[in-house]
Amino acid sequence: MAHPWSLPRMLTVVALALLPLTLPARDMTPSAAPALGASAAFDTLGRLYVVDTADGHVRLRRSDDEGTTFTVPVNVNTTAEPIYAEGENRPKIALGPHDELYVSWSQPRAKPWTGFVRFARSLDGGDHFSAPLTVHRDRREITHRFDAMAVDGHGRVVIAWIDKRDLEAANAANKPYEGAATYYSWTDDGIHFVPERKLMDQSCECCRIALARTAQGGVAAFFRGIWDDNRRDHAFAELRTDGQTGRATRATFSDWRIAGCPHQGPGLAIGADGVRHAVWYEATHGPTLWYGQLDPGHTPRHKLALAFAGAAHADVATDGPNVWLAWNQIDAAGYALVVRTSTDGGVHFSAPRTLARSHGDVGSPQWLLHQHRAYVAWNTATGFRLLKLDGAPR
Amino acid sequence: MKPWLFLLAFALPGLSAAASLQPLNADAVDVLLQPPARGERFIALWSLDCAYCEANMQTLARLQQAHPERIELVTVATDSIAQRDAISARLDAAGMEQWPARAYADTTPDRINYLIDPQWGGEMPRTLVIRADGSRRGLSGALTPEQLAKLR
Repeated sequence: MAHPWSLPRMLTVVALALLPLTLPARDMTPSAAPALGASAAFDTLGRLYVVDTADGHVRLRRSDDEGTTFTVPVNVNTTAEPIYAEGENRPKIALGPHDELYVSWSQPRAKPWTGFVRFARSLDGGDHFSAPLTVHRDRREITHRFDAMAVDGHGRVVIAWIDKRDLEAANAANKPYEGAATYYSWTDDGIHFVPERKLMDQSCECCRIALARTAQGGVAAFFRGIWDDNRRDHAFAELRTDGQTGRATRATFSDWRIAGCPHQGPGLAIGADGVRHAVWYEATHGPTLWYGQLDPGHTPRHKLALAFAGAAHADVATDGPNVWLAWNQIDAAGYALVVRTSTDGGVHFSAPRTLARSHGDVGSPQWLLHQHRAYVAWNTATGFRLLKLDGAPR
Repeated sequence: MKPWLFLLAFALPGLSAAASLQPLNADAVDVLLQPPARGERFIALWSLDCAYCEANMQTLARLQQAHPERIELVTVATDSIAQRDAISARLDAAGMEQWPARAYADTTPDRINYLIDPQWGGEMPRTLVIRADGSRRGLSGALTPEQLAKLR
Protein backbone atom coordinates (compact mmCIF):
# COMPACT_ATOMS: atom_id res chain seq x y z
CA MET A 1 0.00 0.00 0.00
CA ALA A 2 1.30 3.40 -0.95
CA HIS A 3 2.19 5.65 1.90
CA PRO A 4 -0.16 8.64 1.94
CA TRP A 5 2.75 11.02 2.33
CA SER A 6 4.89 11.91 -0.66
CA LEU A 7 8.66 11.68 -0.52
CA PRO A 8 9.28 15.46 -0.75
CA ARG A 9 6.78 16.02 2.01
CA MET A 10 8.45 13.37 4.12
CA LEU A 11 11.83 14.93 3.58
CA THR A 12 10.50 18.32 4.60
CA VAL A 13 9.24 16.84 7.81
CA VAL A 14 12.56 15.12 8.38
CA ALA A 15 14.37 18.39 7.74
CA LEU A 16 12.13 20.14 10.23
CA ALA A 17 12.82 17.46 12.78
CA LEU A 18 16.55 17.39 12.29
CA LEU A 19 17.17 21.07 11.90
CA PRO A 20 17.81 21.86 15.51
CA LEU A 21 20.48 19.18 15.59
CA THR A 22 22.40 20.91 12.83
CA LEU A 23 22.72 24.26 14.54
CA PRO A 24 25.88 25.42 16.26
CA ALA A 25 26.16 24.47 19.90
CA ARG A 26 25.75 28.04 21.10
CA ASP A 27 22.27 28.13 19.60
CA MET A 28 21.26 24.99 21.39
CA THR A 29 21.60 26.61 24.77
CA PRO A 30 18.14 26.98 26.23
CA SER A 31 17.10 30.48 27.09
CA ALA A 32 18.05 31.05 30.68
CA ALA A 33 17.67 34.79 30.62
CA PRO A 34 16.78 36.45 33.92
CA ALA A 35 13.20 37.57 34.35
CA LEU A 36 13.00 41.20 33.23
CA GLY A 37 9.92 42.19 35.19
CA ALA A 38 11.02 45.25 37.19
CA SER A 39 9.53 48.50 38.48
CA ALA A 40 11.08 51.77 39.57
CA ALA A 41 10.08 54.88 41.52
CA PHE A 42 11.68 58.12 42.74
CA ASP A 43 11.43 59.26 46.34
CA THR A 44 10.90 62.89 47.29
CA LEU A 45 14.67 63.51 47.25
CA GLY A 46 15.12 62.11 43.75
CA ARG A 47 16.63 58.82 44.83
CA LEU A 48 15.66 56.04 42.46
CA TYR A 49 14.41 52.71 43.78
CA VAL A 50 14.23 49.64 41.54
CA VAL A 51 12.69 46.26 42.32
CA ASP A 52 13.23 43.12 40.29
CA THR A 53 13.51 39.43 41.14
CA ALA A 54 16.24 36.86 41.56
CA ASP A 55 16.23 33.38 43.08
CA GLY A 56 12.80 33.68 44.67
CA HIS A 57 13.37 37.15 46.10
CA VAL A 58 12.09 40.55 45.19
CA ARG A 59 15.25 42.66 45.31
CA LEU A 60 15.47 46.38 46.02
CA ARG A 61 18.27 48.62 44.77
CA ARG A 62 18.72 52.37 45.17
CA SER A 63 20.51 54.83 42.94
CA ASP A 64 21.41 58.33 44.09
CA ASP A 65 22.74 59.36 40.66
CA GLU A 66 19.81 58.76 38.33
CA GLY A 67 20.60 55.15 37.58
CA THR A 68 24.35 55.36 36.95
CA THR A 69 25.30 53.39 40.05
CA PHE A 70 23.21 51.29 42.43
CA THR A 71 23.47 50.06 46.00
CA VAL A 72 23.90 46.35 46.63
CA PRO A 73 20.43 44.76 46.32
CA VAL A 74 18.58 43.81 49.48
CA ASN A 75 15.88 41.15 49.64
CA VAL A 76 12.35 42.35 50.30
CA ASN A 77 11.17 38.83 51.20
CA THR A 78 13.78 37.12 53.34
CA THR A 79 12.29 33.67 52.70
CA ALA A 80 12.41 32.73 49.02
CA GLU A 81 9.12 32.08 47.27
CA PRO A 82 8.01 31.74 43.63
CA ILE A 83 7.42 35.14 42.01
CA TYR A 84 5.83 36.10 38.71
CA ALA A 85 8.24 38.43 36.93
CA GLU A 86 7.80 37.95 33.20
CA GLY A 87 5.61 39.38 30.51
CA GLU A 88 2.93 41.59 32.00
CA ASN A 89 3.84 40.44 35.51
CA ARG A 90 6.43 42.32 37.48
CA PRO A 91 7.03 43.27 41.09
CA LYS A 92 5.73 46.74 41.89
CA ILE A 93 7.14 49.56 43.99
CA ALA A 94 5.28 52.66 45.12
CA LEU A 95 6.21 55.34 47.64
CA GLY A 96 4.09 56.93 50.31
CA PRO A 97 4.02 60.66 51.09
CA HIS A 98 6.82 60.25 53.64
CA ASP A 99 8.90 58.01 51.40
CA GLU A 100 7.47 54.81 52.82
CA LEU A 101 8.44 51.99 50.42
CA TYR A 102 5.61 49.67 49.38
CA VAL A 103 6.30 46.55 47.33
CA SER A 104 3.81 44.10 45.86
CA TRP A 105 4.12 41.02 43.70
CA SER A 106 2.22 37.92 42.62
CA GLN A 107 3.25 34.51 43.88
CA PRO A 108 2.54 31.51 41.61
CA ARG A 109 0.94 28.56 43.38
CA ALA A 110 1.31 24.93 42.37
CA LYS A 111 -1.55 24.78 39.87
CA PRO A 112 -1.35 26.58 36.52
CA TRP A 113 -2.64 30.17 36.40
CA THR A 114 -2.95 30.42 40.18
CA GLY A 115 -1.41 32.99 42.47
CA PHE A 116 -1.52 35.03 45.66
CA VAL A 117 -0.98 38.78 45.79
CA ARG A 118 1.78 39.64 48.23
CA PHE A 119 2.83 42.87 49.95
CA ALA A 120 5.61 44.20 52.17
CA ARG A 121 6.68 47.68 53.28
CA SER A 122 9.73 49.46 54.62
CA LEU A 123 9.70 52.59 56.76
CA ASP A 124 13.47 53.00 56.83
CA GLY A 125 14.38 53.39 53.18
CA GLY A 126 14.63 49.69 52.52
CA ASP A 127 16.91 48.65 55.39
CA HIS A 128 14.13 46.51 56.83
CA PHE A 129 10.93 45.17 55.33
CA SER A 130 7.83 43.84 57.06
CA ALA A 131 7.15 40.14 56.69
CA PRO A 132 5.28 39.66 53.39
CA LEU A 133 1.53 39.28 53.76
CA THR A 134 -1.15 37.99 51.42
CA VAL A 135 -3.44 40.86 50.51
CA HIS A 136 -6.72 39.00 49.91
CA ARG A 137 -8.86 37.07 52.37
CA ASP A 138 -9.74 34.44 49.78
CA ARG A 139 -7.00 31.81 50.09
CA ARG A 140 -8.18 29.22 47.62
CA GLU A 141 -5.52 28.05 45.22
CA ILE A 142 -6.94 29.94 42.25
CA THR A 143 -5.98 33.02 40.27
CA HIS A 144 -5.26 36.13 42.35
CA ARG A 145 -2.49 37.74 40.37
CA PHE A 146 -1.47 40.58 38.03
CA ASP A 147 -1.31 42.90 41.04
CA ALA A 148 -1.25 46.65 40.41
CA MET A 149 -0.49 49.16 43.18
CA ALA A 150 -0.89 52.89 43.72
CA VAL A 151 -0.86 55.29 46.67
CA ASP A 152 -3.78 57.69 46.92
CA GLY A 153 -3.79 61.31 48.06
CA HIS A 154 -4.36 60.24 51.66
CA GLY A 155 -1.43 57.85 51.67
CA ARG A 156 -3.59 54.75 51.37
CA VAL A 157 -2.03 51.88 49.47
CA VAL A 158 -4.51 50.53 46.92
CA ILE A 159 -3.94 47.18 45.21
CA ALA A 160 -6.04 45.70 42.39
CA TRP A 161 -5.69 42.27 40.86
CA ILE A 162 -7.25 39.63 38.61
CA ASP A 163 -9.27 37.06 40.57
CA LYS A 164 -11.02 33.88 39.43
CA ARG A 165 -13.21 33.11 42.47
CA ASP A 166 -16.37 34.04 40.57
CA LEU A 167 -15.34 31.96 37.57
CA GLU A 168 -14.81 29.00 39.90
CA ALA A 169 -18.23 29.53 41.44
CA ALA A 170 -19.86 29.80 38.02
CA ASN A 171 -18.11 26.65 36.83
CA ALA A 172 -19.29 24.79 39.93
CA ALA A 173 -22.85 25.92 39.22
CA ASN A 174 -22.56 25.11 35.52
CA LYS A 175 -23.15 28.74 34.60
CA PRO A 176 -21.31 30.59 31.85
CA TYR A 177 -18.62 33.08 32.89
CA GLU A 178 -16.06 34.70 30.63
CA GLY A 179 -12.57 35.50 31.87
CA ALA A 180 -12.01 36.51 35.47
CA ALA A 181 -13.08 39.27 37.86
CA THR A 182 -11.13 42.34 38.96
CA TYR A 183 -10.87 42.86 42.72
CA TYR A 184 -9.15 45.44 44.91
CA SER A 185 -8.32 46.23 48.50
CA TRP A 186 -6.47 48.95 50.38
CA THR A 187 -4.65 49.59 53.60
CA ASP A 188 -4.58 52.75 55.68
CA ASP A 189 -1.68 51.69 57.86
CA GLY A 190 0.42 49.53 55.56
CA ILE A 191 -0.32 46.47 57.69
CA HIS A 192 -4.00 45.62 57.49
CA PHE A 193 -5.83 45.36 54.18
CA VAL A 194 -9.60 45.72 54.16
CA PRO A 195 -11.62 42.75 52.83
CA GLU A 196 -11.40 42.84 49.05
CA ARG A 197 -14.13 44.35 46.87
CA LYS A 198 -15.12 43.34 43.41
CA LEU A 199 -14.70 45.98 40.74
CA MET A 200 -15.96 44.06 37.71
CA ASP A 201 -17.12 40.61 36.69
CA GLN A 202 -15.97 39.03 33.44
CA SER A 203 -12.82 41.01 32.83
CA CYS A 204 -9.72 39.88 31.00
CA GLU A 205 -7.65 37.23 32.77
CA CYS A 206 -4.14 37.95 31.51
CA CYS A 207 -3.50 41.67 31.05
CA ARG A 208 -1.95 44.04 33.54
CA ILE A 209 -4.20 46.61 35.23
CA ALA A 210 -3.22 50.29 34.96
CA LEU A 211 -3.75 52.45 38.06
CA ALA A 212 -3.38 56.21 38.33
CA ARG A 213 -4.11 58.86 40.91
CA THR A 214 -7.12 60.98 40.06
CA ALA A 215 -7.18 64.78 40.26
CA GLN A 216 -9.25 64.43 43.46
CA GLY A 217 -6.63 62.21 45.10
CA GLY A 218 -8.38 58.87 44.57
CA VAL A 219 -7.13 55.95 42.51
CA ALA A 220 -8.65 54.91 39.18
CA ALA A 221 -8.16 51.76 37.14
CA PHE A 222 -8.07 51.23 33.39
CA PHE A 223 -8.10 47.57 32.45
CA ARG A 224 -9.19 45.15 29.79
CA GLY A 225 -12.72 43.87 30.25
CA ILE A 226 -14.74 41.31 28.37
CA TRP A 227 -17.90 42.62 26.79
CA ASP A 228 -20.39 40.38 25.10
CA ASP A 229 -18.92 37.58 23.02
CA ASN A 230 -15.27 38.12 23.93
CA ARG A 231 -14.94 41.75 22.89
CA ARG A 232 -11.81 42.67 24.79
CA ASP A 233 -12.24 46.39 25.23
CA HIS A 234 -11.22 48.33 28.29
CA ALA A 235 -13.06 49.53 31.36
CA PHE A 236 -12.46 52.60 33.52
CA ALA A 237 -13.40 52.64 37.19
CA GLU A 238 -12.59 54.56 40.33
CA LEU A 239 -11.46 52.37 43.22
CA ARG A 240 -13.66 53.85 45.91
CA THR A 241 -12.35 53.65 49.48
CA ASP A 242 -15.31 55.45 51.07
CA GLY A 243 -17.68 52.51 51.27
CA GLN A 244 -19.29 53.31 47.93
CA THR A 245 -19.00 50.89 45.05
CA GLY A 246 -17.08 52.07 42.03
CA ARG A 247 -18.68 51.32 38.69
CA ALA A 248 -16.67 49.92 35.80
CA THR A 249 -17.65 51.61 32.55
CA ARG A 250 -16.60 50.61 29.08
CA ALA A 251 -14.10 53.16 27.83
CA THR A 252 -12.74 51.76 24.54
CA PHE A 253 -14.82 50.51 21.64
CA SER A 254 -12.55 48.71 19.20
CA ASP A 255 -14.67 45.52 19.35
CA TRP A 256 -11.56 43.35 19.17
CA ARG A 257 -12.87 39.81 19.63
CA ILE A 258 -10.49 37.16 20.88
CA ALA A 259 -11.17 33.99 22.84
CA GLY A 260 -7.70 34.11 24.29
CA CYS A 261 -5.08 36.04 26.20
CA PRO A 262 -4.08 39.42 24.75
CA HIS A 263 -1.10 39.67 27.15
CA GLN A 264 -1.09 43.43 26.53
CA GLY A 265 -2.47 45.62 29.27
CA PRO A 266 -3.06 49.38 29.03
CA GLY A 267 -1.53 52.50 30.57
CA LEU A 268 -3.21 55.43 32.33
CA ALA A 269 -2.16 58.87 33.60
CA ILE A 270 -4.57 61.51 34.88
CA GLY A 271 -3.75 65.22 34.76
CA ALA A 272 -4.45 67.78 37.43
CA ASP A 273 -7.19 68.97 35.06
CA GLY A 274 -8.81 65.53 35.27
CA VAL A 275 -8.01 64.53 31.69
CA ARG A 276 -7.53 60.76 31.53
CA HIS A 277 -4.64 60.06 29.18
CA ALA A 278 -4.59 56.41 28.13
CA VAL A 279 -2.72 53.99 25.89
CA TRP A 280 -3.96 50.56 24.88
CA TYR A 281 -3.49 47.73 22.42
CA GLU A 282 -5.93 45.98 20.14
CA ALA A 283 -5.62 43.95 16.96
CA THR A 284 -8.98 44.12 15.19
CA HIS A 285 -7.18 45.00 11.95
CA GLY A 286 -3.66 44.04 12.97
CA PRO A 287 -1.61 45.07 15.98
CA THR A 288 -2.30 48.69 16.94
CA LEU A 289 -1.25 50.83 19.89
CA TRP A 290 -3.62 53.69 20.61
CA TYR A 291 -3.52 56.91 22.57
CA GLY A 292 -6.75 58.59 23.64
CA GLN A 293 -8.38 60.62 26.40
CA LEU A 294 -10.96 58.50 28.18
CA ASP A 295 -14.56 59.57 28.27
CA PRO A 296 -16.10 56.49 29.91
CA GLY A 297 -19.21 55.36 28.09
CA HIS A 298 -18.05 57.04 24.90
CA THR A 299 -15.26 56.72 22.37
CA PRO A 300 -12.03 58.28 23.72
CA ARG A 301 -11.23 61.79 22.58
CA HIS A 302 -8.17 62.69 20.51
CA LYS A 303 -7.67 59.08 19.52
CA LEU A 304 -4.37 58.48 17.76
CA ALA A 305 -3.02 55.24 16.33
CA LEU A 306 0.57 55.35 17.59
CA ALA A 307 2.20 52.30 16.13
CA PHE A 308 1.42 49.02 14.46
CA ALA A 309 3.21 45.70 13.88
CA GLY A 310 5.84 45.01 16.52
CA ALA A 311 4.66 47.73 18.90
CA ALA A 312 3.90 46.60 22.44
CA HIS A 313 3.53 47.49 26.11
CA ALA A 314 2.99 51.25 26.02
CA ASP A 315 3.04 53.56 29.03
CA VAL A 316 1.87 57.15 29.46
CA ALA A 317 2.65 60.00 31.85
CA THR A 318 1.45 63.58 32.15
CA ASP A 319 2.48 66.74 33.98
CA GLY A 320 0.82 70.06 33.25
CA PRO A 321 0.49 70.43 29.46
CA ASN A 322 3.02 67.66 28.80
CA VAL A 323 2.02 64.14 27.83
CA TRP A 324 4.64 61.48 27.27
CA LEU A 325 4.15 58.13 25.53
CA ALA A 326 6.61 55.24 25.33
CA TRP A 327 6.49 51.72 23.97
CA ASN A 328 8.64 48.82 22.85
CA GLN A 329 9.04 48.56 19.09
CA ILE A 330 10.19 45.14 17.95
CA ASP A 331 11.60 44.27 14.55
CA ALA A 332 13.82 41.57 13.11
CA ALA A 333 16.93 43.29 14.48
CA GLY A 334 15.77 43.63 18.07
CA TYR A 335 14.04 46.12 20.32
CA ALA A 336 13.70 49.89 20.33
CA LEU A 337 12.30 52.16 23.02
CA VAL A 338 10.17 54.70 21.17
CA VAL A 339 8.68 57.89 22.62
CA ARG A 340 6.29 60.59 21.48
CA THR A 341 5.64 63.79 23.37
CA SER A 342 2.91 66.40 23.48
CA THR A 343 3.16 69.88 24.93
CA ASP A 344 -0.51 70.77 24.37
CA GLY A 345 -2.24 68.28 26.61
CA GLY A 346 -2.31 65.42 24.14
CA VAL A 347 -3.93 67.20 21.20
CA HIS A 348 -0.79 66.92 19.05
CA PHE A 349 2.22 64.66 19.41
CA SER A 350 5.77 64.80 18.11
CA ALA A 351 6.93 62.22 15.59
CA PRO A 352 8.10 58.93 17.11
CA ARG A 353 11.67 59.09 18.39
CA THR A 354 13.87 56.13 19.26
CA LEU A 355 15.34 56.75 22.67
CA ALA A 356 17.32 53.52 23.04
CA ARG A 357 17.88 50.15 21.44
CA SER A 358 18.54 46.66 22.76
CA HIS A 359 19.62 43.51 20.98
CA GLY A 360 18.63 41.48 24.04
CA ASP A 361 15.24 41.00 25.62
CA VAL A 362 13.57 43.93 27.38
CA GLY A 363 10.86 44.52 29.94
CA SER A 364 7.99 46.97 29.57
CA PRO A 365 8.91 50.67 29.68
CA GLN A 366 7.70 52.68 32.67
CA TRP A 367 7.51 56.47 32.91
CA LEU A 368 8.81 58.14 36.07
CA LEU A 369 8.42 61.80 36.95
CA HIS A 370 10.59 63.83 39.31
CA GLN A 371 10.48 67.59 39.64
CA HIS A 372 8.56 67.87 36.38
CA ARG A 373 11.21 65.92 34.48
CA ALA A 374 10.28 62.72 32.62
CA TYR A 375 12.36 59.56 32.69
CA VAL A 376 11.79 56.11 31.24
CA ALA A 377 12.76 53.05 33.25
CA TRP A 378 13.67 50.23 30.85
CA ASN A 379 14.94 46.90 32.09
CA THR A 380 17.03 45.06 29.51
CA ALA A 381 18.96 41.82 29.37
CA THR A 382 22.16 43.87 29.73
CA GLY A 383 20.93 45.80 32.71
CA PHE A 384 18.47 48.35 34.05
CA ARG A 385 18.46 51.67 32.19
CA LEU A 386 17.06 55.03 33.20
CA LEU A 387 16.63 57.36 30.26
CA LYS A 388 16.11 61.05 30.86
CA LEU A 389 13.91 62.30 28.10
CA ASP A 390 15.67 65.49 27.20
CA GLY A 391 19.20 64.45 28.03
CA ALA A 392 21.74 61.83 27.14
CA PRO A 393 20.71 58.24 27.88
CA ARG A 394 21.81 57.16 31.34
CA MET B 1 12.85 -0.57 3.04
CA LYS B 2 13.43 2.61 1.13
CA PRO B 3 16.36 4.69 2.35
CA TRP B 4 14.20 7.66 3.27
CA LEU B 5 11.92 5.47 5.33
CA PHE B 6 14.98 4.25 7.17
CA LEU B 7 15.89 7.85 7.85
CA LEU B 8 12.40 8.52 9.06
CA ALA B 9 12.60 5.66 11.49
CA PHE B 10 15.23 7.68 13.31
CA ALA B 11 13.74 11.10 12.77
CA LEU B 12 10.13 10.44 13.65
CA PRO B 13 10.62 9.35 17.21
CA GLY B 14 11.77 12.94 17.67
CA LEU B 15 8.36 14.03 16.49
CA SER B 16 6.28 11.51 18.30
CA ALA B 17 6.40 12.63 21.88
CA ALA B 18 6.41 15.85 23.76
CA ALA B 19 9.31 14.44 25.72
CA SER B 20 11.47 15.18 22.69
CA LEU B 21 10.44 18.78 22.42
CA GLN B 22 12.70 20.54 19.92
CA PRO B 23 14.15 24.04 20.33
CA LEU B 24 13.15 26.90 18.05
CA ASN B 25 15.50 29.83 17.70
CA ALA B 26 15.64 32.76 15.31
CA ASP B 27 17.72 30.88 12.74
CA ALA B 28 15.18 28.07 12.58
CA VAL B 29 12.14 30.23 11.92
CA ASP B 30 12.64 30.35 8.13
CA VAL B 31 12.52 26.58 7.85
CA LEU B 32 9.45 26.38 10.07
CA LEU B 33 7.72 28.85 7.76
CA GLN B 34 8.61 27.15 4.48
CA PRO B 35 5.51 26.18 2.52
CA PRO B 36 4.56 22.51 2.73
CA ALA B 37 4.77 20.40 -0.44
CA ARG B 38 0.99 20.31 -0.52
CA GLY B 39 -1.95 21.22 1.62
CA GLU B 40 -1.32 23.34 4.68
CA ARG B 41 0.94 23.48 7.66
CA PHE B 42 -0.81 24.69 10.82
CA ILE B 43 1.44 26.18 13.47
CA ALA B 44 -0.26 26.27 16.85
CA LEU B 45 1.45 28.92 18.97
CA TRP B 46 0.73 28.56 22.65
CA SER B 47 2.13 29.27 26.09
CA LEU B 48 1.96 27.82 29.56
CA ASP B 49 0.20 30.95 30.79
CA CYS B 50 -2.64 30.65 28.27
CA ALA B 51 -5.77 28.89 29.49
CA TYR B 52 -7.32 28.89 25.99
CA CYS B 53 -4.43 27.27 24.20
CA GLU B 54 -4.92 23.60 24.93
CA ALA B 55 -8.42 23.60 23.48
CA ASN B 56 -7.12 25.35 20.38
CA MET B 57 -4.37 22.79 19.90
CA GLN B 58 -6.89 20.00 20.30
CA THR B 59 -9.18 21.58 17.69
CA LEU B 60 -6.27 21.73 15.26
CA ALA B 61 -5.27 18.17 16.12
CA ARG B 62 -8.75 16.93 15.22
CA LEU B 63 -8.54 18.79 11.93
CA GLN B 64 -5.16 17.29 11.17
CA GLN B 65 -6.41 13.80 11.98
CA ALA B 66 -9.35 14.30 9.65
CA HIS B 67 -7.02 15.30 6.80
CA PRO B 68 -3.69 13.59 7.48
CA GLU B 69 -2.71 13.66 3.82
CA ARG B 70 -3.10 17.42 3.47
CA ILE B 71 -2.45 18.96 6.84
CA GLU B 72 0.64 19.15 9.00
CA LEU B 73 0.43 20.38 12.57
CA VAL B 74 3.33 21.71 14.61
CA THR B 75 2.89 23.08 18.12
CA VAL B 76 5.21 25.88 19.22
CA ALA B 77 5.41 26.92 22.86
CA THR B 78 6.64 30.47 23.26
CA ASP B 79 7.95 29.61 26.72
CA SER B 80 11.64 28.91 27.01
CA ILE B 81 12.67 25.33 26.36
CA ALA B 82 14.36 25.60 29.74
CA GLN B 83 10.81 24.86 30.95
CA ARG B 84 10.88 21.62 28.98
CA ASP B 85 9.36 19.50 31.73
CA ALA B 86 6.39 21.79 32.28
CA ILE B 87 5.79 22.21 28.54
CA SER B 88 5.98 18.48 27.89
CA ALA B 89 3.70 17.70 30.82
CA ARG B 90 1.11 20.17 29.55
CA LEU B 91 1.28 18.74 26.03
CA ASP B 92 0.91 15.22 27.37
CA ALA B 93 -2.02 16.21 29.57
CA ALA B 94 -3.71 17.78 26.54
CA GLY B 95 -3.21 14.61 24.49
CA MET B 96 -0.88 16.50 22.15
CA GLU B 97 2.14 14.25 22.53
CA GLN B 98 2.00 12.80 19.02
CA TRP B 99 2.49 16.04 17.08
CA PRO B 100 5.84 17.72 16.41
CA ALA B 101 6.45 20.15 19.23
CA ARG B 102 8.83 23.07 19.49
CA ALA B 103 9.61 25.59 22.22
CA TYR B 104 11.47 28.89 22.05
CA ALA B 105 15.20 28.64 22.60
CA ASP B 106 16.23 32.22 22.17
CA THR B 107 16.96 35.12 24.47
CA THR B 108 14.64 37.43 22.49
CA PRO B 109 11.21 35.77 22.54
CA ASP B 110 9.27 38.85 21.39
CA ARG B 111 11.57 39.10 18.40
CA ILE B 112 10.85 35.45 17.56
CA ASN B 113 7.14 36.28 17.69
CA TYR B 114 7.78 39.06 15.18
CA LEU B 115 9.86 36.84 12.90
CA ILE B 116 7.16 34.18 12.87
CA ASP B 117 4.38 36.65 12.17
CA PRO B 118 4.81 40.45 12.23
CA GLN B 119 1.03 40.80 12.36
CA TRP B 120 0.96 39.02 15.70
CA GLY B 121 1.27 41.01 18.92
CA GLY B 122 1.89 38.01 21.14
CA GLU B 123 -1.76 37.33 22.00
CA MET B 124 -2.54 33.68 22.64
CA PRO B 125 -3.42 31.31 21.17
CA ARG B 126 -2.21 32.22 17.68
CA THR B 127 -2.72 29.92 14.71
CA LEU B 128 -0.62 30.41 11.62
CA VAL B 129 -1.52 28.61 8.43
CA ILE B 130 1.08 28.24 5.67
CA ARG B 131 -0.25 26.93 2.39
CA ALA B 132 1.64 25.07 -0.33
CA ASP B 133 1.37 28.12 -2.58
CA GLY B 134 3.32 30.14 -0.03
CA SER B 135 0.38 32.19 1.22
CA ARG B 136 -0.07 32.61 4.95
CA ARG B 137 -2.86 33.52 7.30
CA GLY B 138 -2.78 34.12 11.03
CA LEU B 139 -5.66 34.22 13.48
CA SER B 140 -5.65 34.96 17.20
CA GLY B 141 -7.81 33.30 19.80
CA ALA B 142 -9.26 29.83 20.19
CA LEU B 143 -10.62 28.98 16.73
CA THR B 144 -14.20 28.00 16.11
CA PRO B 145 -14.95 25.32 13.49
CA GLU B 146 -16.30 28.11 11.25
CA GLN B 147 -13.07 30.08 11.50
CA LEU B 148 -11.12 26.92 10.80
CA ALA B 149 -13.15 26.29 7.67
CA LYS B 150 -12.33 29.82 6.44
CA LEU B 151 -8.63 29.33 7.10
CA ARG B 152 -8.37 26.29 4.87
